[in-house]
Amino acid sequence: MVSIRSIPSTPSSVTHLDLQWVIKHREDRCTLCGQCTSVCPKEAIYLTYRRQRMPKLDILKKKRGSEYRTFTGIRQRTEPANRCIGCGMCATVCPNEAIGPVPNPNDPRVRLLQNDKGEAWKRGGRRNVRGSLLDRIVFNRISMLTDPALDAGRHEFQLNTLLGRVLSPEEYLRRKANGGWIPPVREIFPFIIGSMSFGALSPNAWLGLLQGVAYCNEVLGIPVVMATGEGGCPPWVLRSPYLKYIILQIASGYFGWDEIIRAIPDMQCDPAAIEIKYGQGAKPGDGGLLMWFKVSKLIARLRGVPEGVDLPSPPVHQTLYSIEESVMKMIQSLSMAWGFRVPVYPKISGSTSAKSVLNNLVRNPYASALMIDGVDGGTGAAYNVSMDATGHPIASNLRECYLDLVAQGKQNEIPIFAAGGVGKNGNVTQNGLALIMLGASGVHIGKYMMQSATGCLGSEQNRCNVCNIGICPKGITSQNPKLYRRLDPDQVAERVADTFMAIRTEMKKVLAPLGRSQSLPIGMSDAIGIDDADAAERLQIKYIC
Amino acid sequence: MSPKKKTTQKKKAAKVLTVKGLDKHGQRISSQKFEEIVQAAARKSKKLILENYGQHNVGGRLMPQGGPYHLTIKGPVGQRLGCMGQPGTTIICEGAASDDVGYLNIGADITVLGDATNGVCNAMAQGRVMIKGSIGARGLTMTKWNPDYEKPELWVLGSVGDTFAEFNCGGIGIICGVEAKNPNNILGYRPCVGTVGGSIYYRGKTDDTYSRTNVKEVEPDDEQWQWLMDRMPDYLEKIGRPELLKTLSKRKEWKILVAISPQERALIFSGPMPMSEFRYKVWDKAFGGDPLRDLAPGLDRSPIGLIETEDLRRRQPYWANHEKAAPCTFYCPVHIPTIDRLRLIRDGKLEEAYELVLQHTPLPGSVCGHICPNLCMEGCSRQTVDKSIDVAMMGRAIKDSPPPEPAKKLNKKVAIIGGGPAGMNAAWQLAIAGIEAHIFERDHILGGKLAQVIPWDRLPKAIWDSEIDRFLSMENIHVNFGVGMTKSKFKELQKKFDYVIVAVGTHEPRRLPFPGKERVIAALDFLKSAKSDNPMKVGKQVVIIGAGNVGCDVAYDAYQMGAEEVTLVDIQKPLAFGKEKQTAEALGATFRWPVITKEVTREGLVTTDGDLIPAQTVIISIGDIPALKFLPDTVECLTVGGAAWIKTDATGQTSEANVFAVGDVERPGLATNALGSGKKSADFIISQAQGKEWVPFDKKLIDLKTLTTTHYLPEIECGANVEGEAYRCLSCGKCRDCHLCETMCPTNAISRREVPTDVGYEYISDPEKCIACGFCKDTCPCGIWVMQPF
Repeated sequence: MVSIRSIPSTPSSVTHLDLQWVIKHREDRCTLCGQCTSVCPKEAIYLTYRRQRMPKLDILKKKRGSEYRTFTGIRQRTEPANRCIGCGMCATVCPNEAIGPVPNPNDPRVRLLQNDKGEAWKRGGRRNVRGSLLDRIVFNRISMLTDPALDAGRHEFQLNTLLGRVLSPEEYLRRKANGGWIPPVREIFPFIIGSMSFGALSPNAWLGLLQGVAYCNEVLGIPVVMATGEGGCPPWVLRSPYLKYIILQIASGYFGWDEIIRAIPDMQCDPAAIEIKYGQGAKPGDGGLLMWFKVSKLIARLRGVPEGVDLPSPPVHQTLYSIEESVMKMIQSLSMAWGFRVPVYPKISGSTSAKSVLNNLVRNPYASALMIDGVDGGTGAAYNVSMDATGHPIASNLRECYLDLVAQGKQNEIPIFAAGGVGKNGNVTQNGLALIMLGASGVHIGKYMMQSATGCLGSEQNRCNVCNIGICPKGITSQNPKLYRRLDPDQVAERVADTFMAIRTEMKKVLAPLGRSQSLPIGMSDAIGIDDADAAERLQIKYIC
Repeated sequence: MSPKKKTTQKKKAAKVLTVKGLDKHGQRISSQKFEEIVQAAARKSKKLILENYGQHNVGGRLMPQGGPYHLTIKGPVGQRLGCMGQPGTTIICEGAASDDVGYLNIGADITVLGDATNGVCNAMAQGRVMIKGSIGARGLTMTKWNPDYEKPELWVLGSVGDTFAEFNCGGIGIICGVEAKNPNNILGYRPCVGTVGGSIYYRGKTDDTYSRTNVKEVEPDDEQWQWLMDRMPDYLEKIGRPELLKTLSKRKEWKILVAISPQERALIFSGPMPMSEFRYKVWDKAFGGDPLRDLAPGLDRSPIGLIETEDLRRRQPYWANHEKAAPCTFYCPVHIPTIDRLRLIRDGKLEEAYELVLQHTPLPGSVCGHICPNLCMEGCSRQTVDKSIDVAMMGRAIKDSPPPEPAKKLNKKVAIIGGGPAGMNAAWQLAIAGIEAHIFERDHILGGKLAQVIPWDRLPKAIWDSEIDRFLSMENIHVNFGVGMTKSKFKELQKKFDYVIVAVGTHEPRRLPFPGKERVIAALDFLKSAKSDNPMKVGKQVVIIGAGNVGCDVAYDAYQMGAEEVTLVDIQKPLAFGKEKQTAEALGATFRWPVITKEVTREGLVTTDGDLIPAQTVIISIGDIPALKFLPDTVECLTVGGAAWIKTDATGQTSEANVFAVGDVERPGLATNALGSGKKSADFIISQAQGKEWVPFDKKLIDLKTLTTTHYLPEIECGANVEGEAYRCLSCGKCRDCHLCETMCPTNAISRREVPTDVGYEYISDPEKCIACGFCKDTCPCGIWVMQPF
């Protein structure tokens, strides 16, 4: 038996210096108001009393001994379960700037211990890789006198893109003449709010985003659409005029589809599109799992499942065995659901096999687009190893697919949408337009919207990243009303509007010097360059130095 | 100005010179040549007629000091008429003009008696351009206004083309809408983008596409109207349409686009419609209510802050007083509540404290005070500050206290076979509860092995005797000595008594079947003999087989009885520990292991290796087993290690409902285990007798991490006296009423109040004030406050 006086050392013993975030607390400023410990989502900090021994060392005095002083302050716990996540909520509430987390420049050993009970490390968020190839792509074909000089502030720009199958002129005329079926095409803003489910997101976050999207469309005239992610859509939203701004997602869990199908006869309008999810960039080949504590009464009702159960979305659809079959079955069924009036497209994770999927879609008359999600995408929950080491960066994957379409002369017929790390360092417009000029018809942005519009604290430095455990301190990814009520949907909507207004302005600032105002420069790769010869060669764009 | 120059000027004014745009061969001369000719002519005359033939940049660069100049332009005009026009230059173009009339004009007065194409007045800073017809796109763009000069003016009778007045900075445009080229949209598409100054007076239909973030539309105020009316006749005169004055003097028909200030723009830019308005007017209306009202009726999603009280807290404090066991109470087999005893001592209730202990054990001085290894103190939390509480000293302090007052008689009788510690405590507990306890002891003394075999050195006789006296003085206890037990006697007891408790211990020594085993003395017999009036003799050399603590006791007694060399052998590393081992070693005993006995001869012990350990006396000390021949077959036994032990349940009950087994007979252990076992079965019997449900001790051990021990300072003197120990106690899991939580709570949520419970008070946290910071939990020295998630 180890004496209780002794300090035990176990294989998982860590000190505060082994943690990724170190709490800096200043006793001289602290008022002991309790707000930091109250707000901390991880109970990572606590009030503590420390004893200090002050020996009386006067050698000439007979009576010697020690006096003790006790001082009071806030310290952090070192148990991995209570590790500080760096969210900084303590600093938010501190009235005296007495406390806050700072990143630990040392090797945070606690990383090695986050596999308690054999459960491999899982987290929400992002890859925590700060570099971005997209950030390095610059727009360097500046028209001053060679092309019509355009002015971002003065000229009008056609910034929208097309989602849907665009028939070749001959085919279009032929069908028009014969009264044949013309595939649905939507004119939308090329920055699309990427799939984040009602469930992964809190009601206030999700509805705030949708309210912002509605505002963008109806007040600002920016035709933004948002993808729901799997997990359905509230019935009143399905029956509202805002459904036209929503891309409904069907995924391997099929959650919420009973409500969607039930609502079809009552719909005031068609949805923007249907996204069939086969993969996700952040965790390719891995399924989703909405943990039981996020399956509130509301979510259970919405998804058509019992309350408080784990909801797995398996990595693969249960009854699909090949590309041909998937494309045939799912795209056709979902097209038919709305009388072939709604574009239907699959979403896959970035992969060396993306081209095979694309070529299959080219041959399918109902496939409206292809969405490829690259490795830098975010997620609500994934195993660390899936997030960090599985997947394909979007740039070269998209580029290969686009050039393949070009070789077939189909590049104007089936749009490719790209995602995965757009705006990861804040350069959302630049990243998005770089992908557009590499061949994307538009981009999906998820993490960026969470940061920009809902106030997500996550960063590429592994800050926060607890979307998976329902304790989101900002109330974005929690189903606990005590947390999500921290988020005011009106304010989220306002930030959505701010964000898209700014993206619109920035797009013009990029497109004006390129002399493009009449159409989105999809595949205009002569306008971009990169200071990396290998990347330039791979992407078939200019190497600049 | 010199008189000579004056003459020249007069002369110049008199003569009108004509400059032709075609040479004598009828060929167009270049703009450069034309300019040279014009400049030369201007030196001779102030009135020029320029018969233009598409030459550009005509009419500029005529220096004011040479003027005023009056130029009449005939013929097809080139671009940029009046470019860089100077003050004092008047240009009258008799027909339509081409692009960029008045380009970079800084003062010329230019009249175009027809239409003009694109770019009129581009970058004009001063001067006036008057158009008799309409103009093309991008008129009045990039104008300037130098505050030292008049603002530039552009007068258009008809309409202007698209993108009019972009980046207009000071120019005043007057668009009359008369005989307009585009009568449905006299200002063109998207005028005033980037306008930061100036104003546009206009009259007529527009497509309303002016840039909302740059200009706003106003009605002319008096001053503006006066300005317009002051200048209108001159303009109409200049273009030869004075009859229009009346038409153009209807104030109601005029509007003005005036530039918006950056401050105004900042206000507009937050969005055309406030989000709250959008939510109210558009969003909510589209749903006809909350969009989740069917999924989650009444769900409150209204915004809250980060620090909340009441039900919006994620945790709430709970005062879990007395809900966890202190280590002392938990680890003690008798579960003596030492922290309660120390609390009573702190409260000055010494007698109550002692009685509390005596309610758990009749032998605190002998067992707690001497022979018990004090398991209770192994986990004492005080060790994190200095040393554990000295519970042995505190046990000894109770040796002379009177027995507790027994309860009212319950009219039940229990027979207890065996007067060792297990039987004694069973009897003691029953007696206190008012149940008659009859002990049947084979020996002539009480205490079992405590009295029979533990050397007096380790258990002082005075203490023992006084505790036995106290035991015997207890009402309801009856002791029968010298009663050997048989099957028939047992049956008789079963009939006569409500319950029978078997507490006979282990009094049959284990032996090993090696040759010469008859030469070996059992430790139990040796120790009993050593403590008797006629101790047996021992040789000078003694070997003890089995080097446990009992072996050490044997070694001690052997030395006391004259042995000079004692060797303890064992087949494994000796299990002896603590005081027993230290005492034996201090006397000179040696330990040998591994040693396996081959045989015992007259010379001593022969090992399987062939070594002889010389000895005149060999004693075997490898444990004892129960002697249970008297038990009826209905009492089931369990065979473990070649011996039978009585099978019991958690209460000590055997397969016979009214027969219990306690102490070593059930499971060998320490004296304190025997005391605990006796108490447990007695408690069960008492519960049955009282018709109550038996409640076992099932409190969970408190997590020492929940205590805040920093409030205590290390003491130099520990274990000096009972009162000192009482103050050193950390009171694990039991409130010590220190008020620290009340003091630390940052929102004053915690208060203390008296309540009619055993404790007499409680601390409560007011949900209206509590923000769930957890300071109460982090402060509590006793680990009482817990934060419960909710």
